[in-house]
Amino acid sequence: MPNSNQANDIARYAAAVRAALASLPDAERESLLEDLESHLAEVAGESDQSLEERLGKPATYAAELTSAYGAASETGNVPRGARYRDRLWALVSAALGTHAYSEVRAFLPELRAGWWVLRAYLLVLILAFMFRGGLNLRPIPDPFTSGGLLQILATLVAIVLSVRLGRRGMPANRGWRAAAIGVNVGVALLALPVLVSMGTGSTYYGYYADSSDPNLSQASASYYAGFTNIYPYSKDGQPLKDVLLYDQDGLPIVPAANGLTTDVPVGADGLPIQNAYPLTQRDQNGVPVVPPRVALPPWQPSPSPSSTPTPPITTP
Amino acid sequence: MALNGNPIDTSQLLKGVLDLAVLAVLAERDSYGYDVLRRLRESGLDAVGDASVYGTLRRLYQAGVLKSYVVPSDEGPHRKYYGLNDRGRSALDQSTKTWGSFTSALDHLLNGRSTANAK
Repeated sequence: MPNSNQANDIARYAAAVRAALASLPDAERESLLEDLESHLAEVAGESDQSLEERLGKPATYAAELTSAYGAASETGNVPRGARYRDRLWALVSAALGTHAYSEVRAFLPELRAGWWVLRAYLLVLILAFMFRGGLNLRPIPDPFTSGGLLQILATLVAIVLSVRLGRRGMPANRGWRAAAIGVNVGVALLALPVLVSMGTGSTYYGYYADSSDPNLSQASASYYAGFTNIYPYSKDGQPLKDVLLYDQDGLPIVPAANGLTTDVPVGADGLPIQNAYPLTQRDQNGVPVVPPRVALPPWQPSPSPSSTPTPPITTP
Repeated sequence: MALNGNPIDTSQLLKGVLDLAVLAVLAERDSYGYDVLRRLRESGLDAVGDASVYGTLRRLYQAGVLKSYVVPSDEGPHRKYYGLNDRGRSALDQSTKTWGSFTSALDHLLNGRSTANAK
């Protein structure tokens, strides 16, 4: 029966052997050292000598252990390729944080289907961004516009195709496989700027309907981020006042909340008129916002209605 | 045993036959690690190292030729016993034949040499 000194000796010796085998993959080391302690206890129980005196240095013991055990891998009946692949995976997972990594790795195949759906959505989003110039791009397209409806339908079709493609698995041909990986990475990379542009709100588009305020319960407007005010000028360069602006849906155009205070005129019906430009605004300190200096484009003298169309004049 | 100026490295010999020796010991009766070592040494294989026996047992177990079970012990920790399973027994039979033909070939060689020397 080992006394407490022996127990310490056993624990110390076992720890040193484990440390010497730290380079082995976790699973292999554990299956090798499973009952090392109880085995060492048997050895220790035989005499009063320390384990190091009886068995030699822990590092030497570890080396003898692996040489006796290691021969196994060469004679085992696991196919050589699979064995090396397992060993590589074990090394990678040991490098990347063992348990946490193995959990993630076990979970990865389940994430694949999610990526198949996501990539279809992103691909249509990228195409919409390219063809519609990013205007009115929203995470979920508006089904009541033709473009939005088209985008939704295209997304559904793309998801079906993408999942079918994904379930087929990777192409066996090396070149095709590289192409497939390239396309996936490309979609992911291209989607980034599109998503970012949507996130910053530079093309954000939204409806406003505040039912809590009776005055505004009927009000509905298009709120745009990216500008705080609009300064309209007439063709001859005169600044205009109280120009009412509406978007393609007939909704008043109003800048999204931006930190400035806007003094909105109130109509005869008591409702605020939010889209009369330029807006009268004050900043956080109450200082009125000064209109910017603008460089107005010089207009060409307009042709008289009776003249025949002439080719553009080129200046010498 | 040492030949003139050219000793046979017993540990090298052992390496090749340790599997067979361990299987043979376990064929006699199931044993735990330290008991296997003791019985190997009692049989005259006193150069065998503790770590080699332990590593070999783990390997043979992993290779699926040994069964293993834990027996509670009144004195000290529980003991893990190893024994041959069907695959282990057929592996032992196979290895015994291989060993037989190997030793008889070597015996033949050595005997021929010794009779030649005697002449």
